[in-house]
Amino acid sequence: MKLRTKLFVALVSLSSSAGVMAAGENNVGSCGWGSKLFAGQSGIFPQAFAGITNLSFGNQTFAISSGTSGCTQDGAVSSSWQTALFIDGNKEKLARDISRGQGETLDSLAKLLGVSDNDKAHLYLTARQNFDRIFPSAQASTDDILQGFQQVLAQDDTLKVYTAKL
Amino acid sequence: MFPAGPLLMRVLCVVLALTSSLAAADDYLTELVAAASARSLHQDPQWQALLHYKARAGLFGLRSLADDSRFFNAPDGKTNPQAELAATLAAFFSTDAETAEQQNPQCRFMARYQWLKATLSFDANRLPEQPCARFHAWREKLDPERITLVFASAYLNNPSSAYGHTLLRVDRVGQADNTSLLAYAISYAARADDTNALLFGLKGLFGGYNGTYAMSPYYQKVAEYNDFENRDLWEYELALTPAEIERILAHVWELGPINFDYFFFDENCAYQLLLLLDVARPSLALADEFPLWAIPADTIRAVAQIPGLVRRTVFRPSRSTVLKTRIAGMDAGQIERALALARIGTPLDPPSMASAPAAELDLAYDYLDYRRERGDLQGPEVAQRLRALLSARSKLDEPGELSIPTPAVRPEQGHRSGRIGLTLGRLEGHAFQELRLRPAYHDLLDAQAGFLAGSQIDFFNVVLRHANDSGQVALERFDIAHVVSLSLRDSLLKPTAWSAYFGADRLRKGDGTEGMRGRITVMGGQAYGLTNCCQWHLLAGGDIQGSKRLEDGYAAGGGAKAGVQVDLSAAWRVAAGVRYFHYFLGEEHTAREARLEARLTLSTDWALRFEAAEQRELGARSTTVSATLYRHF
Repeated sequence: MKLRTKLFVALVSLSSSAGVMAAGENNVGSCGWGSKLFAGQSGIFPQAFAGITNLSFGNQTFAISSGTSGCTQDGAVSSSWQTALFIDGNKEKLARDISRGQGETLDSLAKLLGVSDNDKAHLYLTARQNFDRIFPSAQASTDDILQGFQQVLAQDDTLKVYTAKL
Repeated sequence: MFPAGPLLMRVLCVVLALTSSLAAADDYLTELVAAASARSLHQDPQWQALLHYKARAGLFGLRSLADDSRFFNAPDGKTNPQAELAATLAAFFSTDAETAEQQNPQCRFMARYQWLKATLSFDANRLPEQPCARFHAWREKLDPERITLVFASAYLNNPSSAYGHTLLRVDRVGQADNTSLLAYAISYAARADDTNALLFGLKGLFGGYNGTYAMSPYYQKVAEYNDFENRDLWEYELALTPAEIERILAHVWELGPINFDYFFFDENCAYQLLLLLDVARPSLALADEFPLWAIPADTIRAVAQIPGLVRRTVFRPSRSTVLKTRIAGMDAGQIERALALARIGTPLDPPSMASAPAAELDLAYDYLDYRRERGDLQGPEVAQRLRALLSARSKLDEPGELSIPTPAVRPEQGHRSGRIGLTLGRLEGHAFQELRLRPAYHDLLDAQAGFLAGSQIDFFNVVLRHANDSGQVALERFDIAHVVSLSLRDSLLKPTAWSAYFGADRLRKGDGTEGMRGRITVMGGQAYGLTNCCQWHLLAGGDIQGSKRLEDGYAAGGGAKAGVQVDLSAAWRVAAGVRYFHYFLGEEHTAREARLEARLTLSTDWALRFEAAEQRELGARSTTVSATLYRHF
């Protein structure tokens, strides 16, 4: 019941904190989206939609190896963060689409990676056949998924060119 | 005169130059203000739209709906369009450099700047243009090509969502339907942080909350509405010109941190988005069509009625709609096996998963994920099973794409929100006529197309009755709120049906006394549907009534109600119900009612309704029959 109440309230807040445009205030360097609940919570499938509850700025939800200072500028995601944030916010749907070899979330990821139309079918097939490597466990973090994806792409002659945007 | 050294000369030169450039700036400002005044630009619909000036009911003159001093450059900017325009022009002369924390006024008020620059033909030599790097970077990230208006259908379990919700989506260049998740969405919502539902309701109704515009990735909105709240989404692609799209975006940039008082009825999400569309094209004047209240579906209707404004629509089904479509194409055996695969508490059985067909794995996964999303099932066991299902699925070479039919009637194509009715009836043989008026929204017997099945949201339903005998007109009922949700249970989904009533009606006692009675009733239970036939429901709950005519002034008790609805054809719906309540506090008594109703749809906004009811309460037994002609408006 408590969770329900919290979510009920949070539902109303909707996107009140997420991605507020900064026509006057500082909004540089915040990473307000992505799933805060993922942090410290195991499981590839989180228990409630993170984007609604407890929105706050400045929380990195997964380890950043690139060392950039922030992932949004005035509410728009900087390109170097786009793919990572998208995967972080769409983990379950991505896993589902990859396992089926089709789906909107997978199409969107392909677009972010800049995959050409010719290569899409091959990407989807390769990803599906390597599902277990990309999502090694139910506790896989976004970092794990990114790494798994990177390895799978790197080992394929046609697809290795797309690791650049991962 | 003392000898003027080179340094002093330079200083003097600088001072002189500054003074003259300030004077020049002053001159140019004066010119611009004069030009604006001569053309009455402050009365231009574009300026009025940009500043959100409205003549609200009950207030004299124009007031801006923005409730934030940061939105205005003039101290009286909220009520004085002309002063605001002059002060905005003055602000544009600022040479403040842009930082991460602050913007130059030209950038902060980008839409105003762009419009005034074009309309007054700013001379860049006399009014230098600021670089506005932050705005341009933001706009570039959006990469806009189209604007889509998105409507999330009604969600009865959250009062602020009962009427639906609207938001705008900024579609990117080259975006296709299957990559719309990557777009940005602009939404207006209240920043509410009250956990007390009553406080939340009151503050939401009376402007106790601040509302702001915010931007987020569309995939987040889809997850929020489609998945978490289980609402279907309707996407209306708008035919706006590139210039109009630029104007909306520049204006959204201006609105970023600005607070508006959020009013649930009239200045809500739907209304605010209309203001954005009016900025794009002031001749639309959409917001003016909603002076008193704005119901989201009505605002979509207003947009859809502008010829050529909606280019196409896309339907995005909720998770429960997807599940219902899946099971419609499967037999009982397949569903049973799929549920077994999804069952928590049994050990994971890789062999049975490995040999399961794609359709069963897909249903098992979607169902379990749906339960997890709702919070019914949680924990590592759920995560393990979900992953195992997908792993097994990945071994199958079968896309298994599910084609979800788009409902024939869109939300804005259903009946209109207001309803007025004229009734002829007889109570125990005594004739009467009634005038029935309901401002919003929909009940179980109204034409169902375009509305959430099994839903009823009635607000401020007023019935005035004229009895031939007495020749008097009296209030028969005033239903402040009557909300019902009869979501049907099926083999997969088991929602709770519920209803809540708050209002007053006329009670008639066996001894002839009558008077108004206030009442609150809350009930919960279950509703079932039999395919292609009918729905029936059973609810139980409590009722508290207060009236001068009651002993001790009140009565409280509990009871149950059962009902069935049958759609005999597209036009005819028949409903029958019985109700039994026993009041054991206050005036003890039993109330029983049996009711039969039928509705004949004449057209989208016209219907006939026939009612027959027999009531026994407070010593009176009465039979009422009536026929009503309803018109939706």
